[in-house]
Amino acid sequence: MPYKILSVDDSLTIRMLVKRSFKNFDCAVFEACNGEEGLAAAIREKPDLIFLDITMPVMDGVTMLTKLKENPDIKGIPVIMLTAESGRENVAYIAKLGVRDYLVKPFKDEQLIEKASRVLKLEPKPASA
Amino acid sequence: MPSAHDDIAKAFGLEAVPESVHRLTQMIASRSGSIVEFGKLVSADKQLTARLLKFANPRAVDEFDYNITTVEGALQRTGMSVALLFAMTDPLVRAVLKTFDTMLGIKLETLPLSTPFQEDHVLGEVGFSGQANGKVQLRFPKVAVPVIGARLLGLEASDLEDPAIANDVVGELCNMVAGNFKSNLCDAGLPCTLKPPIITITGDFKLQSLEGGSSERYPFRSPELALFVDLAVNPWGG
Repeated sequence: MPYKILSVDDSLTIRMLVKRSFKNFDCAVFEACNGEEGLAAAIREKPDLIFLDITMPVMDGVTMLTKLKENPDIKGIPVIMLTAESGRENVAYIAKLGVRDYLVKPFKDEQLIEKASRVLKLEPKPASA
Repeated sequence: MPSAHDDIAKAFGLEAVPESVHRLTQMIASRSGSIVEFGKLVSADKQLTARLLKFANPRAVDEFDYNITTVEGALQRTGMSVALLFAMTDPLVRAVLKTFDTMLGIKLETLPLSTPFQEDHVLGEVGFSGQANGKVQLRFPKVAVPVIGARLLGLEASDLEDPAIANDVVGELCNMVAGNFKSNLCDAGLPCTLKPPIITITGDFKLQSLEGGSSERYPFRSPELALFVDLAVNPWGG
């Protein structure tokens, strides 16, 4: 059963980068372009890991994280923040909400995989029959 | 001494706050102090002092030609916001170099001066508001967009004919530069939030001013890319 990874970011570029990073692994990457869609996708798909941006229209990442942690069905899903926000006060506030890890943009594919590997036991994608 | 916030950042493997941001913090904290006190902080930084004196003596051919030779004199002439703008240069330049190297594998160099763009070019702008107000603008030639798209995502030039994709690629780079710079401002005691990126094509190369603030242009080059970054900031804008 492949892992499910949810990428929540308003930037198509970032969502494409996340998808590309995991293309060789046994993962299915789902996408959402704001916190509201991200929350709905988290409830629907029950992903194994969420990469979450902060600054997004409609619902920002901090609000989505707060709502996710309030929902007993999905509050255990590990969240890794993927954002250009690295101000110490904001990082400390988000850490208290309960995130597994934090990756500051700009980033390399390898960093994304390394952070995900701390949460998931990533396996190469099986060769197609 | 590192704070609890620094410890959390370290636990996540985030980079330490640059020394230049600590200096900026001290300058912001002392802004209500006297010009002498502020001048002492500026004088502790040789590069900052040199830039400020040069700016305060715009007609001078070299430093032997300066009419204003002290930091206090220069601050009286230019205002303290100019010194703060120059102090913000290092965090901004770091953000630009890191973003282009990490995301595109492009190693940019800073230049003291460069030839202005004569043709229509891409202008990506991200504003910020809060304790400090301003904007970061990235300017590069239109022909650079396919290079950036290919480097970042392996996109073909035809993919970037869709303005939504091209704008998103450019906008995300602007976001990363502005986001890192903004985080440094927050760490220095000027909390602010970013606005969404705006991408346009323009023939207007003029450095834009900001009411009550100061503006500065920073040219960058690599064999693949010519880039200008404009910073306009009002550190007392909040």
